[in-house]
Amino acid sequence: MDTVSPVKSLTRRISTTIAGVAGAVVLAGCAQNAPQDTWQPKGDNAQMITSLDKLVFPIAGIVGVLVSAFAAYIFVKFRDKGQAIPAQSHGKPIVEIVLTIVPALILTVVGVFTFRTIMDLAETQDTEMIINVTGQQWWWEYDYPAQADQGITQPIITSGQLVIPEDTNVLLRETSRDVIHSFWIPALNGKKDAVPGRIHLLRMQADQPGIYAGQCTEFCGLSHANMRMEAIALSKEDFAKWVANQQKPYVAPAEGTLAKEGEGVFINQCARCHQVNGIKDANGKAIISAPDENVYSGAAPNLTTLMTRNTFAGAMFDMVNQKCRADVWNAKSEEFGAKYLAGVTEECLNEKTLRAWLRNAPAMKPMYADPAKLEKTNGLYRGMPNLGLTEDDIDKLVAYLLTLK
Amino acid sequence: MFTPGSKYFLGLTGLGLVSAVLYCFLVNPSDLGAYALFGLFISAALIAGFSIFTRDGDTDTVAEAVEANTETTAPSFWPLVFALGGALTLLGIATNEIVFVLGLAVLIGGAVEWVIDDWAEKASADSEFNAFVRHRAIGALDYPGIAAVVLGVVAFLFSRIMLTVSKDEASIIFIIVSALIFATGFLLAAKPALRGKSTAIISVVGALILAVAGVTSALNGERKELVKYAKEDPYSISHRECGEEAGEHYDHEPNGSVSLRSGVIATVFVEDGKIRAQEVGLKRDVESITIPRSNSTTILFRNLDSEEYRLVVNLGEVKVGTTDVMEKVGTCTQLTGKNEEQALTVTIPKPSNPEAPYTLTVPGATGEIKVVVP
Amino acid sequence: MAIIERPGTGTTPVVATPQQTLGAVKRPVETKGWREWLFTVDHKKIGIMYGVVAMVFFIIGGVEALLIRLQLAMPDGQILSADKYNQMFTMHATTMVFLFAMPMAGAFANYFLPLQIGARDVAFPRINALSLWLLIIGGLVLNASWFLGGAADGGWFMYAPNSGPIFSPSHGVDFWVIGLQIAGVASLLGSINLIVTVVNMRAPGMSLMKMPVFTWMILVVQFLLVFSLPVITVALVLLMLQRSYGATFFDVSQGADPLLWQHLFWIFGHPEVYVLILPAFGIISEVLPTFARKPLFGYPFVVFSGASIGLVGFGVWAHHMFASGLGPVSVAVFSVATMAIAIPTGVKIFNWLLTMWGGKIWYTTAMNFAIGLVVLFTIGGLSGVTHSVAPSDTQQTDTYYIVAHFHYVLFGGMVFGLFSGFYYWWPKVFGKMLNEKLGAWNFWFMVIGMNLTFGPMHILGLQGQPRRMYVWTEARAGEGFFNLGFWNLIASIGSFILAVGVLFFLINVVITARSKKQAPLDPWDARTLEWLTTSPPKAHNFDRIPVVHHLDEFFHRKYEEDTATHTMKKVAEGEDLVRVEEEAADAHIHLPSPSYWPIVLSVGVGLLGLGTIYGIPMIVLGFAITLFASYGWILEPSVAEEIDFEPSNNDGNTKEIAPLG
Repeated sequence: MDTVSPVKSLTRRISTTIAGVAGAVVLAGCAQNAPQDTWQPKGDNAQMITSLDKLVFPIAGIVGVLVSAFAAYIFVKFRDKGQAIPAQSHGKPIVEIVLTIVPALILTVVGVFTFRTIMDLAETQDTEMIINVTGQQWWWEYDYPAQADQGITQPIITSGQLVIPEDTNVLLRETSRDVIHSFWIPALNGKKDAVPGRIHLLRMQADQPGIYAGQCTEFCGLSHANMRMEAIALSKEDFAKWVANQQKPYVAPAEGTLAKEGEGVFINQCARCHQVNGIKDANGKAIISAPDENVYSGAAPNLTTLMTRNTFAGAMFDMVNQKCRADVWNAKSEEFGAKYLAGVTEECLNEKTLRAWLRNAPAMKPMYADPAKLEKTNGLYRGMPNLGLTEDDIDKLVAYLLTLK
Repeated sequence: MFTPGSKYFLGLTGLGLVSAVLYCFLVNPSDLGAYALFGLFISAALIAGFSIFTRDGDTDTVAEAVEANTETTAPSFWPLVFALGGALTLLGIATNEIVFVLGLAVLIGGAVEWVIDDWAEKASADSEFNAFVRHRAIGALDYPGIAAVVLGVVAFLFSRIMLTVSKDEASIIFIIVSALIFATGFLLAAKPALRGKSTAIISVVGALILAVAGVTSALNGERKELVKYAKEDPYSISHRECGEEAGEHYDHEPNGSVSLRSGVIATVFVEDGKIRAQEVGLKRDVESITIPRSNSTTILFRNLDSEEYRLVVNLGEVKVGTTDVMEKVGTCTQLTGKNEEQALTVTIPKPSNPEAPYTLTVPGATGEIKVVVP
Repeated sequence: MAIIERPGTGTTPVVATPQQTLGAVKRPVETKGWREWLFTVDHKKIGIMYGVVAMVFFIIGGVEALLIRLQLAMPDGQILSADKYNQMFTMHATTMVFLFAMPMAGAFANYFLPLQIGARDVAFPRINALSLWLLIIGGLVLNASWFLGGAADGGWFMYAPNSGPIFSPSHGVDFWVIGLQIAGVASLLGSINLIVTVVNMRAPGMSLMKMPVFTWMILVVQFLLVFSLPVITVALVLLMLQRSYGATFFDVSQGADPLLWQHLFWIFGHPEVYVLILPAFGIISEVLPTFARKPLFGYPFVVFSGASIGLVGFGVWAHHMFASGLGPVSVAVFSVATMAIAIPTGVKIFNWLLTMWGGKIWYTTAMNFAIGLVVLFTIGGLSGVTHSVAPSDTQQTDTYYIVAHFHYVLFGGMVFGLFSGFYYWWPKVFGKMLNEKLGAWNFWFMVIGMNLTFGPMHILGLQGQPRRMYVWTEARAGEGFFNLGFWNLIASIGSFILAVGVLFFLINVVITARSKKQAPLDPWDARTLEWLTTSPPKAHNFDRIPVVHHLDEFFHRKYEEDTATHTMKKVAEGEDLVRVEEEAADAHIHLPSPSYWPIVLSVGVGLLGLGTIYGIPMIVLGFAITLFASYGWILEPSVAEEIDFEPSNNDGNTKEIAPLG
């Protein structure tokens, strides 16, 4: 998407040349394929910003070089070579006026383009799909309101990885349950804060299927550094498959399997906070979790389709091992959808980290989960406590969790 | 520098501190005894400091003292104030707390003024200097104290007036009062000759108006809709006016009162007697609204019809206490006129049951919108 | 009205016991040893103490910064826990802004502003002392939190609701709130004091447009403080009420909007940026002309650009909030306003460069630092322009690109300016020259260290590393040799080089202090009034209040223009001029006596503040001491001696009224 079309031919060419020449030295020193690089847009919105950068950075660069060169010239030319004390002149107003007007003109040009881009990025008329994004210390929840035209007949809820269809104008409706967070997928758009009590709109659009990294960028307390997220773009067909999978009814594990015992452990230990849609207790009654009675901010990730996500614990840890992770991250965009939709298989599971997490979550991620220190929140946790599970329980739980896909 | 009086109080200060610390260690740092002993320490320290400053109210030399005492003592009304304070304090013990606190304040204020007056009278033989000394010592307490009381009274009276009059009247009053203040200020700035007496007259008249209006309003009580609204139970439909009834007290013109626009997740419209909804950000009608769980969420209600409607959110039923009687849970907006808006804020902590979803309805209009909490 | 030193004959003020002590505690008259410093009201001693205090906090803040860089040198750093790291960056910023930068500017302002305008002291000497002691108490309260359950952990911006009692359960934020309120009172008192001083106490003939630029910039800063500090004070009081007394100003569940805090904070916080940088601008506006041997190019433009930076600075606060969900119209307005502020800033840069144009540049350490400021600030300013573009800012804000930007502005700008001031004015303050050779080491280590530390942060930020993260992860660092890990390591190495540079300065100070060699009276061939007296200046600053005829009065007393060639010819040495002054010394010089009460009062205020954490008894104790000290202050003898004061009527010196307060 080309937002600087009016001056495309000239500005683009000049700026590209200068960015190429002057910037080459700097850019050579940059990391390759940094997942959060702000200068590698993968969607229209980020592209608009980068186009603006391509105007502003060269201007700043040229001004910087000119001023420095001028300064260097002065430093050498007028150094003390034994010349007489110069005349005590107090300046020339005409020079001052010129030096005021020139920067003002340059900035006016920048201002006009800035204004246009701000307005374009605030546009919501072309929205094709909306997603609610809710921040909480220290993970993100995404829920998809029912939108029949996108194949979403009943709401979907997930966390950690935001899944969107490619080439679709998605509008995120951000809010927060506790403190201010900020949602940022650099390849797709700039950041926008998720403020409790407010709903902020952020456009998202991805040109190609792929995985785009992001990070919470508003300081949100203890584990701010560990509050990550990923946006997954899928082709429209793959997205439909993903939606269908998210909406399929819950299937309890077969009687007598390890996973079935795991379901029991889950109901006892985990279901107080973590919802699995469709899970029923021994009497066949639906279990509705009550995170609001245990967690200060009021929610815990919904685990119904846990194993369709490649990460867990606020995208801090990989659910898949190194090899499978690299496989997904490095997949070509045509193959990406299939690889991602395969989910977490038994061979791919990053079992060591998952088990460590189940064994003692607060040791893995700084959280306020020490029952002795919760007087300010009346005993409500901020984060996942150590549940004191036995290794046996963990075996069963892992087997059960693997069925949630 | 340490006068006999101050020595006594310094001793008392030390004793108070030592005994308070001992008490904390040996008995209990958080019970009344500790507070009492600390109180003793602090008040003794205060008085000690005071008597050091005022040299026990003594003068430097005998000669000065003699000279000072030859002058007649000026009349003083502080004994009267002090006595009044004592009476009020006693009365307060018998009647209520506010009187007691007020009495205490008067008592302390009177005592301080009296002590400083007495000291200042004898500070030197020069009565002009004595007056200056008095001003120095008491001004630092007097002016902030008086200013605080005056500001408090003004704010209180004004708030009573504003709570009594209706919204429209309130804005008119604000406009008139601010215009008057502005005009007066302008006049005084432009014509310095007007200052002095006229300023005093204006202040007195203003104060009188404020006092009369404030007292009248306080006796009149707050305007009715506020009283009613404050008493309603926010989450029980059966105890509120959530049906088609007209309702007793409500705001007929709520437009502009919605200050939560930045937190709105969806808008519900009533048009031609039918209800429809739009999610914010998506410009088409939807049949269900999805709201995140455990989060305070605002839904905007906009009435496009000429009849008055209200929006109701139905959050299922719960048992009343230990009985088997079921009660409807939910909340609603006030009645809303044509082209007016109202906000409805709910927090739903648990996922909704797919079999029995929550709904939004408008009594008197057809249709319903499902509310889903995933 | 604190005049009690009796007139003497000659130039040494004769000190007499004040009469009519109202209270029992007599005002100290002449003090020696440690008392000389604790109870002083002399603006020069207070200035030096400001400097020492600021330097101590600079070192504390610097160590915090080094710990931060150590933690981030490698992925998944283990030096600090998440909690400690959060405290560390919060306190690093708080310390550097409130306890180093502002007091250090205060040190220069206190010491040189009266000297530059030809006054004998500031307008309210005791209040001046109170400002200093309140600042020290504020700093102690802030840093005491390290030992009393942990420091503040919400970032120096302390965004609500993360700063609330539930999200930050330790007492750190309480200490922070109280410390900053006390330091804020100190700044507010100081700023009013300096404004009154400039307005009322300029030497005869010194019109506003003949005032040195340093004094001008300090004046602008004081106005910024007077208008911005009340806002942060309100915000801090709200936060204190919320944390200690259960108020709900920022509690979303009670219907509050957390953006209120952000607006309040940045309405203060943005002018604060100019509060930090303008004194440095002032310093180098003195240093550059001196060493280029030319007056400042376009003096009125520099002055008015400074004033307009201050003014526009109040209208751009929301550019810190481009990502916080303001509407597009507000974003656009603030974006454009922010660009506008680049114009007066650019004017300043051009004027400094043109000051040197056609000059005779003498490269001393002071000059090197001043030039360093011009170049490094230009870089910081230009990166600032890139994020005045709001859409770009949404990619850059809260990343290391911002960290790079404001460290170029504040370290490359402000700190370099202050160091320039150290080298330039050291001989004036202490009568000894800082070693120029060590100065060169100091300068080059700081330049190289600074660029190695903050230069790579541009890359880190643009490639997506957010700020305020206690660890960064290899998985997000990219590939190739020059990945983000490499640049993080370089930045950490750079920070230690920078620290060595600062160490050179400290060594230089020690060596200079031990050396016996006295500095010449006018080592730099300087231009402004503070050099028209001995080094260090006498207690009463000037033997005779100078009458001013020129901008750069001192220079014009030394030089005369050759009308034929338009070159300048030296007609007098600084020593000659000072001798002339000494011979014509004023007979009656009134100086304020020391006072016990500023320090006692500030202790009382400190306890009063701590009482919001430790309960009512401490509040009562603090209040008692405050009241006690206030009365000591009020009753201190000060007026009766008016009979001693004879306004001299021979040469218009009546301007030097006895200082008040």
